[in-house]
Amino acid sequence: MTRYKKQDPEITRRKFINVAMGTTAAVGTVSLVSALGTANPVFRLTPDKAPPVKGDVLVHASESKEGELIKVSDLSEQLVRAWPMGKDKDGNKVIRKGDPNNILALYRFPKGQIVEPTKLDVTVDGEIVAYSDICTHAGCSVADSDQGDGMKCPCHSGQYDPKRGCKVIGGPPPRPLAQLPIKLEGDQLVVTDFFASMPYPFLSETEWEKFKKEVEEQLA
Amino acid sequence: MNQWLDDRLHISRLNDKFLRKAFPVHHSFFLGEITLFSLIVLIITGILLALAYEPSNSLVVNTFDPGTATKPNLVPAAYHSALKINAMPFGDMLRRTHHWMANIMVAAAVIHMMRIYFTGAFKKPREINWWIGMLLLIFSALTAVTGYILPYDNYAYNTVKVVYAITASIPWVGDWVAQAAFAGKFPGAGIIPRIYGYHIMLLPGILLALTGAHMLIMIKQKHTQPQYAKRLAYKKIVGVPLITQQTPIMLVLALLFTGLVMLFAAFVPVHPVEFFGPPSTTPINNIKPDWYLLWVFGALAIIPSFEWHLFGGLIGAEFVGALVLPGIVMALMFAVPMLDRTTENQYYAENPTNHPVRLAAGVAFFAMMIVMSVAGYKPELISSGLLTTGNANTILWILTLLVPAVSYFAVIGIVRGIRALREADERESLAHAHADD
Ligand code: FES
Repeated sequence: MTRYKKQDPEITRRKFINVAMGTTAAVGTVSLVSALGTANPVFRLTPDKAPPVKGDVLVHASESKEGELIKVSDLSEQLVRAWPMGKDKDGNKVIRKGDPNNILALYRFPKGQIVEPTKLDVTVDGEIVAYSDICTHAGCSVADSDQGDGMKCPCHSGQYDPKRGCKVIGGPPPRPLAQLPIKLEGDQLVVTDFFASMPYPFLSETEWEKFKKEVEEQLA
Repeated sequence: MNQWLDDRLHISRLNDKFLRKAFPVHHSFFLGEITLFSLIVLIITGILLALAYEPSNSLVVNTFDPGTATKPNLVPAAYHSALKINAMPFGDMLRRTHHWMANIMVAAAVIHMMRIYFTGAFKKPREINWWIGMLLLIFSALTAVTGYILPYDNYAYNTVKVVYAITASIPWVGDWVAQAAFAGKFPGAGIIPRIYGYHIMLLPGILLALTGAHMLIMIKQKHTQPQYAKRLAYKKIVGVPLITQQTPIMLVLALLFTGLVMLFAAFVPVHPVEFFGPPSTTPINNIKPDWYLLWVFGALAIIPSFEWHLFGGLIGAEFVGALVLPGIVMALMFAVPMLDRTTENQYYAENPTNHPVRLAAGVAFFAMMIVMSVAGYKPELISSGLLTTGNANTILWILTLLVPAVSYFAVIGIVRGIRALREADERESLAHAHADD
């Protein structure tokens, strides 16, 4: 009879199973995470996906007139949708609709109706104004309100006032629509700078600043 | 040969364990079955649709309206294949059957869960199956949403845009998660193949696995017994066996139900892709999610906008309205079995009026869901002149809180009334019984 309990030199089955399961779980998690890494493809900024930049001209976005230059006479107090059109490396014209967030809203109001906080110096004579047409809430395209009071987003009924810098006058959007600086060159509407404030889908100024830099480098 | 098979597969054991499972005889016990049948029909119609569907959002020439050689009419391949399916014999009907079945599956599941909740069938030992049921509900909704996106018409496009935005609104990691889930920045070149993978492989796989577990556990634990079983044979399982009595009932029910839905599909159009057209920047008026997600949509419509920065992350109305709030609702539903403190096993379905607080809480919960869904119609309420832009949010918020409270107390009151009547009845019949002696 031994007075001491004999120590089993082999590991128990329970221990073995636990270690095996632990290892499997660890390896599984690591491989899952790396697999998820590949789920997220790299983003390549191509000219058709670039935001409106200095020198772009504005063209119609509606299906029937897509790609035609916008003339002053086309504009009114009714929203006109537009795309920015720029050039690629070889000098070919590209409509920048690869990123649907580039869609723009143009208005022309009688003189004196457009007021602060609209940036008046980057409108055309205080009459023609351009905004991003993408709701800052969840990215829907914004339309004219059927009640005749500014713009309304059909998704969650966000409301904007295009005469006052597209500030939010109702609903959930967190920010006004971004204004796009434009000028008249001959009879073409030309973009003079990036959006004056961060447009959808950006959530922070730093991100937007970083993106602007990237765009400048890429298109230079 | 029967012997040969039985020796190998032990069918007689299977027979005892599963095929003779007793089914309670009560119509409310058919709701789960209807959910199951819908799932089966969904899989069958889904397979047929998948054979004709092209999961790609690259642009192709629309063969129905090719445009001109210099200006071809380009549409996404997925949208084009939806048009082609509509042009197939019975193709449109196939799509509609799939659509209606999906709606009915969710509806049947919701009513099934109501039955479980109001009769206390979620109590010990069936908590696990309540939780699996919750997962089934959540994954069904996800499957439905991904299915919505596949025709890739303008409606689907706007839907996925908002879904993308909701995903991206998660603080800190949102951008990364959204891009990983939807194959890059919206609308990435691979968005439709990715969602197709979810809709036909990943999510149905999860649904089938969960359904299997759900039913195995149900067979192991047996149904709760309806009240009459208590009087018939206390603590005995009462009901009709799966083979051979329940099977014909199930078959008849399945055929009748499928037939009805087909009839529906033949005459009631759904989601006309031609009407919405290919993805474009023209907004669609009055875009709405399906009825079972309308409450989230309503919450988003009435939540005031705010932005709150925390450690470099952004917490906004979108995140709170579309993820935190439904998260709380789901957590509450998950917690239902844990709010119950009985340690006994539950054998019999309870009469809801014997549990007034549970009944009233459930009714109040549904009342709140309904009011929030109505809030989803805010733009319509405003343009019809019932509410104004100025007061809509306030009024809808007050209703969201007031209606559930009122219904809670109303239910409690009514239940009290019913019980008083019942007790009076009993006293009376007792008195008469004596008089008869
Ligand atoms: S996307 Fe415009 S209000 Fe929600």
